[in-house]
Parts: sequence; structure tokens; C-alpha cells
Amino acid sequence: MKKVGTPDYTVSDKLKTHAAALGTAAKEMILPLNITTHYPRERKRQPDCFRGIMLFDPERCISCFQCSFVCPANAIWMKEAPSGRYYPTLDHGKCIYCHFCVDTCPGGALRTTKIHDVAFKTMEEMFTTTEEMVEPPTIIREDETVVDYVIDKEDLSLKRTKEVDELIPDVPESKGVPMVSVCVDRGSCIACKICDQICESGAVSSVKDEAAMTVKMSIDAEKCTGCGLCVKECSMQILRLVRK
Amino acid sequence: MMKMAAETIVGEAEWEVKIPKKKFKDKLFFENLRDVVIDTKMCSRCLTCVSICPSGLIVNEADNVDFPNYDTKCLDCGACVRVCPRYDYQPKSGLGDYIEFTAGKSKRFKGQDGAMGTEFIMSAIDMGLIDRGLFVDRNELWQTDVFHARNPDQLHRLPLGGTKYVFANVIPELKKAVMLSKVGVGVVGTPCMVSGVRKLQEAFPVFKEKVKIVVGLFCTENFHYDEVSKYLEEKGVDFSKLVKTDIMKGKFVATMTDKEVKFKVSQLSSILPTGCNVCTDFTAVESDVSVGSVGSAPGFSTTVVRTEVAKKVWDYIKEKGNVEVGEGKIPELDYLIGHKKAREANIPGYEPKKEEGEGAGE
Amino acid sequence: MIDMINGLISTIMNNPVNIPLLYVVYEFLLKIPVLGGIVAFLLDFSLLGYPIVRIIIGFILWKPIFILLLVPGFATLGTMLLVLPWLERKLVGRMQWRVGPREIAPRTRGSIQLLADSLRFLCQEVIIPKDAHKFYFLQFPFLYFLPVLLPLLFINPGAAGTPLVPLESPYALQIMIGLISFMPVFIMGVGWSSNNRFAFIGTVREAFMYFAYEIPFIISILAMIVLYGTSDTAEVISLANQSSWWNWGIVLNPLAALVFFIATVMATARLPFEIPEADQELAFGPFIEYSGIAFGLAYVMAYEKLYVLAAIMTMLFLGGGSGPVIPYLGDLSYLIWFVVKTLVLLLVLVNLRGVYPRYRLDQALNIGWGALLIFALVAVVWSLVLGGVL
Repeated sequence: MKKVGTPDYTVSDKLKTHAAALGTAAKEMILPLNITTHYPRERKRQPDCFRGIMLFDPERCISCFQCSFVCPANAIWMKEAPSGRYYPTLDHGKCIYCHFCVDTCPGGALRTTKIHDVAFKTMEEMFTTTEEMVEPPTIIREDETVVDYVIDKEDLSLKRTKEVDELIPDVPESKGVPMVSVCVDRGSCIACKICDQICESGAVSSVKDEAAMTVKMSIDAEKCTGCGLCVKECSMQILRLVRK
Repeated sequence: MMKMAAETIVGEAEWEVKIPKKKFKDKLFFENLRDVVIDTKMCSRCLTCVSICPSGLIVNEADNVDFPNYDTKCLDCGACVRVCPRYDYQPKSGLGDYIEFTAGKSKRFKGQDGAMGTEFIMSAIDMGLIDRGLFVDRNELWQTDVFHARNPDQLHRLPLGGTKYVFANVIPELKKAVMLSKVGVGVVGTPCMVSGVRKLQEAFPVFKEKVKIVVGLFCTENFHYDEVSKYLEEKGVDFSKLVKTDIMKGKFVATMTDKEVKFKVSQLSSILPTGCNVCTDFTAVESDVSVGSVGSAPGFSTTVVRTEVAKKVWDYIKEKGNVEVGEGKIPELDYLIGHKKAREANIPGYEPKKEEGEGAGE
Repeated sequence: MIDMINGLISTIMNNPVNIPLLYVVYEFLLKIPVLGGIVAFLLDFSLLGYPIVRIIIGFILWKPIFILLLVPGFATLGTMLLVLPWLERKLVGRMQWRVGPREIAPRTRGSIQLLADSLRFLCQEVIIPKDAHKFYFLQFPFLYFLPVLLPLLFINPGAAGTPLVPLESPYALQIMIGLISFMPVFIMGVGWSSNNRFAFIGTVREAFMYFAYEIPFIISILAMIVLYGTSDTAEVISLANQSSWWNWGIVLNPLAALVFFIATVMATARLPFEIPEADQELAFGPFIEYSGIAFGLAYVMAYEKLYVLAAIMTMLFLGGGSGPVIPYLGDLSYLIWFVVKTLVLLLVLVNLRGVYPRYRLDQALNIGWGALLIFALVAVVWSLVLGGVL
């Protein structure tokens, strides 16, 4: 068994370190480097990709449920809107602001903001509905200064500028990932036409030919939004999503 | 289950599906099924239609298979009609084609007799032929459930092996297993279930691909749980002590920890399901391998290896030394084969084909 | 009887603290028209042959009362208690790159934080645990005032030739040592009566620390007694300040000063020896069960002890009240210098918190019985040598 002992310090070393420590303490007492941001009168400047609360754009949503599936904290639950489509609702109590949902949304409907200090008065308010996710919450701004942490080699200093940080950044809109649905095993199709029923964009169509005793199924790649509902609902599981 | 493709999958953007003929043209497909199979009391309760219905609304009720609200909910796709073995009923009977007629006793597992059904499925898993096997499980009250087994260690729980003379949800579970499995599925079932599986495989390639081995059981009849449990309790059977149920030499034997209850099988005719009354298949002629107790010594299971796939598995079992090979005696099956073939007479509107030498093939 | 009263009054009136400034103020006040009239009347007011107001003023200015009550006694102690923790928090915050208390009165930089804290303590509920020994739990924080405040009687904040001791005694230093040695008993009593496992650990650690620092502490004071040749505080200062600063104790016997300093840090449980109260481990050690005003008392106990020990250190090692004389203040200038020096020393002691981590208990015991003891003994020898020479 190896024994590890304390390192050997001579007395002068120890005295030097004591003196250095006390000297630094004295210096800091007189000329301190103060790195406190006096929130809420000041705010630290956040980068545009900061992970704050998410805002939602229903126009771009294709109801693919990907945000709900990928959420690691199980905070996004899809609720049915009167139009029959499903939109996400967010439980801020569970949300860990990892922004997997923002990254994974194929339509780019979820976007990030720099707002991180939202307060809820009751537990029920934390279950944010879709309508509440569309508009940013009421922000009471007390800050007039923005603080930047400037690191110059080994020196850290604060720079204060009298401006107000824009909380909803102007980021370019996400294009999403275009996917289209295809059938990979046409022999196993039973022509139940559930894919046709569930398709929101009218891309899947089925035409019954009574005379020839056949049903013609087709998926229009142009119309298909890649939401994946038909893939999920196919009773024989023969539809797959592929990149356009 | 959604799958996002990482690599490009070549798939169809347009395809055609043939729909089957309706016997009653102005009725929905389910109505056709009902009129042809269910209302004529021919439904074997194999539950193949239940498994394939895309809306999932065909249900197995206590009295029969039914589709409540079919007039608004039936999608009229015709899947149920395509897979029902009793819709265009071609009754199978006799011993059927086979490669090898033998008997075996598994050294690894304990079952009804030689546990050969279990051994075949488990060896198929060992070989890598399949990754899932479906077995019928039971609870303390002998109510059935279907278990997806993935490796042999899971099978050392006793209730999985051993006959339960009660219907179970095998085919619906088979569909689920087919959707989940990546390599293949093996299943053990009664002759009606085997016919249902074959019809599925004929209609839909995904089943042909995925269902790799089908073990059929020798079967005279099956029973509904509620009816048979009531009957047995009246006869003095305590389910909590019940160890084994058996039908041997025309007698139903219920073995419990402290005693045995025996009575003639014919006494059960009052609770015999109507679907079994029209079934002529004793040895499950459409399976890959048939297994049963009749035709071999006690403790051994008669094994009728029918297809190449089953032969491969049988050779593997013998090579691994997991079986003690016995002797199968064909003549011992004759009585029961004939007993079931006679039920052809019960099939409404069936004209047996007049052929010679059919029914006991070699 | 009347003789006794007369004698008492004459003792009081003949031994005041000499502050010339007061006379200047008195002269000035007399010149103001209305106020002058009132002041003159009050000073001449006499009841039953005794000038009451003069007696009262004379009583306040009587040496023992003035030094004990006002400067540098209770009043200074009280002010120190309000000011010192705030200074500590602010300065330690500066060392740690942060701001100390700020929100209470932002324009004054949070200086009334301690007032707000005391208000809070007054309004909080004092929870007495069910299993605690009620009598000791409630009484000990109050009884602790005894050994802490009594040494103030003997502290001489004067300078050479002007002893300003409240109580003169040839055994002053020994009495003070005795009282200081008695203080940890109360802390241990507090912890023991709480009947809580963390308080128990804190109490036991306090007992161990007491073991560690007591002997070197006593020996270092012994060294100073040997050096000065007397344990009467009045004379101690006179001797110390005969010819200004190179006769200060810290110059004459730096080793004893070092030992006393470290023993003070150990005694008052300041980092690096904050062992009985280790915040991160024990959540305030022996005082864990106190809340409300009792917590306020516990908090204040530590600072009182610190003040008394710092005052003793100033007196013995930093030359008491000596320093450039401030005109018009007379005796008060010595007192003010004493308070200033004590404050500086207190700031040093209190801000060690931002610099050092905490020693382990066995390391602290090692130091106490190893290095400190040796240094203290060497200090005694040095004093003997120096005393023989000088």
C-alpha cells in the first residue's frame, strides 16, 4: 500500500504564502474587484442563443408531437385545439429549459428568448396553455444598465453600459427539416385508409375502384409536411419518414 | 411507434391494394364476416380478426366475437375477411405432410409431457432464428395471459409450460410482437390459431417475413374460462391447489397437490364451444411442427416435423443434446384424427370433396 | 450616615475624568441667552443642601463610571456590536469579490443592517426544544455576560502617568485570566443543555479547543507580567509607555504577542479556528437550537468576548491609550486612541475570515500543544532575559 504524505514545505515557504494571502486580502479590501451584477437594477448581457423560456408559433406547427416525445422531463403535453389539431402545452414546473424541443421542431415553431426569471404565483399557473406560450409574459423591467464580463487574458473586469438588453432576440427563423412519408411494404397494406383520415395536409389519398376491386393509395410529397401522424397511426406500421 | 429515417429508405409513393370479394355486396365487410362466420356458429375464437382490425374495435366478448357500432366505425377495409380461416372454410384434417414423425423429451424444460413446444421455440431463439417467443401464461386462478419470452431463462417459471384448456389472446399478441420484433417471432397455438397465422402470412408479407416458426398443438377442443372453471369447481377442483390439467384416453384429469379429479371428457359436451364443433383438424396440419401427447410414451411429446425450418431447429436441438429422442407411433393418432374428421358433418353447407387416399398423408 | 453620604459624594466629585472640552462647551452655553439661563439655573439648583445636577454630572464623569459605562466600556461595546459585524461582512465581501449587505439602506451602503437584524430577532419566536434542559438553556446566555463584562473593570485605557482604571488591584491580570478561563464553561453549558447532536459535537469541540489554547494563553500573559514586573494594570501601562512606542509590548516581546493573538483567534472561534461552530458542518454548533432574541444573545456573546480580548491585547501589547495628544480632550484623547487601536485590532481579527480555511480539530490541538506552547515558553524566557537587562 502506498502511503501518501503531505508535501514538504519549509518555514520560509509557509511564511511567504501567509504573507501573500494577507497581502491579497489587504489589497482587495482597499481596491476590490467586484463582480456582482446588481440584479434587478442591472442585467448581464446574454448571448442570443440563451436558453430562456420558449415562445410558440402555431402557424408553423405541424402537430408532429416530436417536441413532446423528445422532452426529457416530460414537460410538454399535446392538447387538442378546437380545430382538431394538437398543440403543445408546457409545464414550467417540470421544464428544465434544455431546448431539445426547440432544436427538434421540424417546422421551427418553438423559439427561444432571453427571459429566464419568470415568476408564477400559483402551481396551477405553471401549466402554461398554448395561448400563453404564443405571447411573451408581461415583463416589468427595472434595469437600465447592461453588464458585460470582459476577460482580458487573466484579468476579469465588468463593463457597464447604459442600455437595455432586448429580451426577445431577433434570430433567423428555423427552416426545419423537411421529411416526407413513404410506404415501405406495400404488400402488407390492408387499405384501412387510416393514414388518409389522419392526414392534416391532404397529402395521403385513397381511391377505391369498385370494378377492379382495388384501392389506389398515394402520398403527395409536395403536400406532405412530414408531421408523422400517418406513420404513427398506420395499423400495419409500414409507413416511414424519409428526408425530402 | 414513429421512426425517423437516418438513412434513405426507398419506399412507395403510390401503390395498389387488392380488396377481397364480398359475399354480401351491399353490406360492410364486418357484416359479411358476421353473417358468414359468427352468426353461423363457425367462429373458432382464434381472434385473428381481432388482431388485424385497424380500428381495433373488433372485440372478443364472452359469448362471441363482436364489433359494437360497426355501422359507423367499420372502415370497410376487408382485412378481417382476408384473414379469417373460417370465411372461405377449407377444413383441414388428417395427419398432413411431414418430414419426420418422432417423439422427444426436453432435457431443459418441464411441460405437459415432454415440453417439446417450449423446446422448439427456445432453441429457435438460441439459434438466432427468432428473438421473441409467445407462450400462454396463467395466474393462480388459471386465467390465461400471453407472455413474450426473449431468452430461455425466463421460461423456468412452471406455469408457462403445460396445457391450459382455456382460450388465450395469442394472435393479437402475435401482431404486437411482429411490430416490435426485429429478427422474428415464434408462436405456439391450437390448429385454428395456426390456420389464422397462415392466412395472415398469405395476405400480408410482413407476417411471412417475421413469423418464422409456428408450433401447432394436437387439439380436440378448447374451453371458455368462465364455463370450464365453474364446471370444474362443481366437480370439486380447487384452483389454488391445481397443478396440471390433462385429457388422456377420453378422460379429463385435474391433478391437484393432494388429490386427482377424473371424469369422462364427453361430459363436457354441454360447455363445448360451437366453433370447436366444426373443427376437423386434430394435428394442426398447417404448422411447421406439431406437438402433442398422444402417440408417444408418457413423459414424451409426439413431434411431427413438417417443414425445412422445423427440421433445422430439430437438428439443432439434437445436436445440442437438449432432447431425449423417443418413438412416435402413428396408429395411436388414428382414433382422434377420425373423431375430429367426423365433425365435417357439422359444417353448415359443406360438401366434402370425394377424394381417395386424402386425409392421412405421408 | 450623613458623613457617609458626604464622603461618598466627595469621592465621586474629586475623581473625575478630566475633559477640558466640557468646560469650553459650558462657557459657550452660558453665553447663549435663554439656554444659558437654564444651564446656570440647573447647575446652581440645590436640594437639601446638595447640588443635585452637579452631583449627577460628577457621577457620570467619575472615573470608574465613565470608563466602565461609556468609553471604553458598555456603551462602546454596544456600538461596536452594531458596527463590527457590518464592517466584517462588508470587508469580507470585498475580499471575496462581492458586495456585503446592501439592500436595507442602499444609500448608506447597508450600514443599519445590524439594527434590522436586531429588530428581527426581537420579533422572532424563541423556540425551546422539548428535550432541552430549560433552566440552563434560557439562563446561560444571560449568565455569560458575567465573565465577559467583568474584565472590563480592570482594563486601563490610559497612558503613562494617567491610569484610568475603574478598579485598581494588584491582581488585576490574574483576575482577568480567571474570568476569561471561565467563559467556555458557559458555552459548553449552552451546547449541552440543547440536547441536540450537533450542539453536542460543537460542545465537545469547544472543550477540545479550550484545552488547546488555554495554557499558551496563560503563559503568554505570564510572560508580560514577568516583563513588566507587575500584574497591576495601572502600573503596567505606566511602565509600558515610559518612553513612547518602542516600549510597546509587541516590540519588546513579539513572540508573546503572536501567541496571544493566535490564542485569541482560537478562543473566540474565528477562522482558521472556527471549529466549534463550523457553519458548513455543524450549523452554528452549540447555539444551534437558539432562535429569536436568544439567538441574538448567542451571536452577541462571540463578539463581546472578542472585544474584551482585543482590549486586553491593546492594553498589554499596543501601548494602551498612548498616542499623539488631541488638544482640548484631555483624558478623553487617551480613551479615543484606545478605542481606535482596539478597533484596528478587531478588524484584523475579524477579517481573517476571508483569508483562511478551517483547521481540523486535531491540527488545532497540535498547534496549541506544539508550536504555541513552545513559543509561549520561549516568550517567558525571553521576558526573563529582557527583564534582567532592562
